[in-house]
Amino acid sequence: MTPYDDLPSDPLDLAALPDEEGPLDEEEEGPSLPKPDAQGRGRDESDKLDRYLLRRYHLYGDRKAREQLITMYLPLVRSLARRYASRGEHFDDLVQVGAIGLIKAIDRFDLDRGVELTTYATPNIVGEIKRYFRDKGWSVRVPRGLQELNIRLNKVIDELVPKLQRSPTIAELAEAANATPEEVLEALETSQAYNSVSLQAAPGGEDGDEDAGLIDYLGVEEEAYDITEDRTTLAPGFAKLDKRERYILHLRFFEGLTQSQIAERVGISQMHVSRLIRRSLEKLREEIGDVDNPDPSLLARPGE
Amino acid sequence: MSRTIRLEVAAVPSAFAPIRLVLGGLGARLGLSVDELDDVFLATEALFRAAISEEKDMTRFRMELCADDGTLRSVAGPFVSATLRQRIAPAAPDVGCLDLCRVLHATCDDVRVEEAAGAYRVVLVKAPGDRA
Repeated sequence: MTPYDDLPSDPLDLAALPDEEGPLDEEEEGPSLPKPDAQGRGRDESDKLDRYLLRRYHLYGDRKAREQLITMYLPLVRSLARRYASRGEHFDDLVQVGAIGLIKAIDRFDLDRGVELTTYATPNIVGEIKRYFRDKGWSVRVPRGLQELNIRLNKVIDELVPKLQRSPTIAELAEAANATPEEVLEALETSQAYNSVSLQAAPGGEDGDEDAGLIDYLGVEEEAYDITEDRTTLAPGFAKLDKRERYILHLRFFEGLTQSQIAERVGISQMHVSRLIRRSLEKLREEIGDVDNPDPSLLARPGE
Repeated sequence: MSRTIRLEVAAVPSAFAPIRLVLGGLGARLGLSVDELDDVFLATEALFRAAISEEKDMTRFRMELCADDGTLRSVAGPFVSATLRQRIAPAAPDVGCLDLCRVLHATCDDVRVEEAAGAYRVVLVKAPGDRA
């Protein structure tokens, strides 16, 4: 007899399920079962099945039991991944990443601790998805320490600008962030490696804000957005920019506002303004070949 | 003592990173703000990319950086492309166009084209703003 022999062919067949304390007995479970899960099983039944499969896997090395657990909990992974699906990453990718979190939870589950697998797996799955966003947001590998300093600087700049009534110097930033000027420069440099891909995207993993997208940081759309299009040359490349990007370029290059002033006007951080300007110019370059030298024949002005 | 840093990098977009680092170090020493430093980066990168695009035979991009007189002075070149020169200092600037001229003038305190023995060099100057 192998350790697999007592495993039911259908993992949801509770009647066929052996138990350490004996077979499941409805009387022992009590007359009122908890709310059934998606498979129609009661919570205690699910927990019992989980523990059985976990024992099979952890005590006997039963890979089949592990696979069954993974299959059973994929709906949970999908449900959790769906929460993050609007942040610019493919849903299927998030499910795959979440599945890694699930597998880690199954592998690390401690049978001696009296917690349910769902309780243990949920933070593992969510953590893996969040880690994916945090790492995926950086187009090149940036050391964690620099990422954290970069995020800290983002906040420090936003605190210092109203206090100083101007953009802070590197020395002032270094002092406020308890870092050296060299570290500040290096951390600011890393922000160039950060992809700000979507209004729905996570804003960089600020503490406590992980569920908020950039769109949550925006105020109402200003009427001035439309003025931009009346006063700035419109090239085909500009059509690739959204209103906010056009507005920011207009404020910076035609109205002469500083990045900090734009940040205050638009309601986002200075570092984000910096990235948006750079990204917008890059988009224009890609669209019309060279933003700095657009083909005159491609240019069109309002009214033409 | 003059503190001029001479940089020479490959004329490819990815080679801009070391220029940024040196500009950042000098700008920080001068007391440029984060906004001003980013302006310097934007201007220099725009010029760098335009030069790569227009100077067809250029394999190395040369730049001198100096922070002696309280301003950050970047001198790029020599260049020979008439198109590049026209884009930096057009005879009739289009005030409504977001072109290289507009980017440079919106981000630098001074933009000049200096003759250099049959070629020309581009001077970008950025000064720390009033900290009062």
